[in-house]
Amino acid sequence: MIQPQTLLNVADNSGARELMCIRIIGASNRRYAHIGDVIVAVIKEAVPNMPLARSEVVRAVIVRTCKELKRDNGMIIRYDDNAAVVIDQEGNPKGTRIFGAIARELRQLNFTKIVSLAPEVL
Amino acid sequence: MCNLPTDFLQTCRGSTNLAIHKRSAKIIDNSSIWLEYEFSSCWLNFFIYSMPRHNTSEDTDDMYDDLFKKYGKVVYTRNDQKSPIAEVDDDAESLAFAVAAAKVASDAKAGDIRVLFVKPLVYWTRFFIITTAFSRPQIEAIRHKIKDLAENDYRREVTGDAKPNSWTLLDFGDVVVHIFLPEQRAYYNLEEFYANATQIELPSENRRPSNT
Repeated sequence: MIQPQTLLNVADNSGARELMCIRIIGASNRRYAHIGDVIVAVIKEAVPNMPLARSEVVRAVIVRTCKELKRDNGMIIRYDDNAAVVIDQEGNPKGTRIFGAIARELRQLNFTKIVSLAPEVL
Repeated sequence: MCNLPTDFLQTCRGSTNLAIHKRSAKIIDNSSIWLEYEFSSCWLNFFIYSMPRHNTSEDTDDMYDDLFKKYGKVVYTRNDQKSPIAEVDDDAESLAFAVAAAKVASDAKAGDIRVLFVKPLVYWTRFFIITTAFSRPQIEAIRHKIKDLAENDYRREVTGDAKPNSWTLLDFGDVVVHIFLPEQRAYYNLEEFYANATQIELPSENRRPSNT
């Protein structure tokens, strides 16, 4: 359940470390975003000497949430953190590698590029 | 679930949590608990004997091992599991499609085509085709040719990018095609990430130097 003002970890090597959600893309008045949703976020903390800097506005895909993800077969997945991957306007990830486990739902939502860079897919 | 021993709950915690069903834990009597949980693709049935607090020692693991040997067994397997023969058939069909797609990409003058067998590394697909195109119109041409081949000859639907992109991805289920511009290919360096995958040898005429 990501909403504006939520802080998220960054699960890639793009150079951002922490993001703050400022808008959820999709519907006009959507309250919460979940795994696979695209958000507009501002970089609150960044790694020095990297292309992305603090206070930059970027798009990101949510890849992990503390809120449980329910599947049709009854499986429930809950992560320890809220995390997102920074993408560009075309949908390509800005980093070259993803860290940590991500959910397979991302593939069905056409984020197969992120899935193919991830070390573990649940 | 509320009556589970704390030791067991601690073992369930990890960086990524597979939550255990509340409804699948049922108490048989005061001292024993049957737990069923889904792990990877099969249902395992564990018999967990809740120890009295003072008796928790290093031989607990051995006792659990013995109990598992005695009672642990696969009680349910999903119906969609395929036999090994069917798996090999599917692999062969996917390989045929992957090689045909690589040939089509080669006909469209794509550079440095690699076909990787990634099934041992990732569960969600079998083959990767990684190739370089040198312009967006060329990406579009390769995309159309592979899509037509898949739809006409192999009856496969494509998902992925609908228009040419600097990294265009075509997802056919068992086969995933990555078409890069040269800059993006060097940037993402997928071959290095999947370095442990077996590379499928293509006929020599399909191999072109990357600087063509």
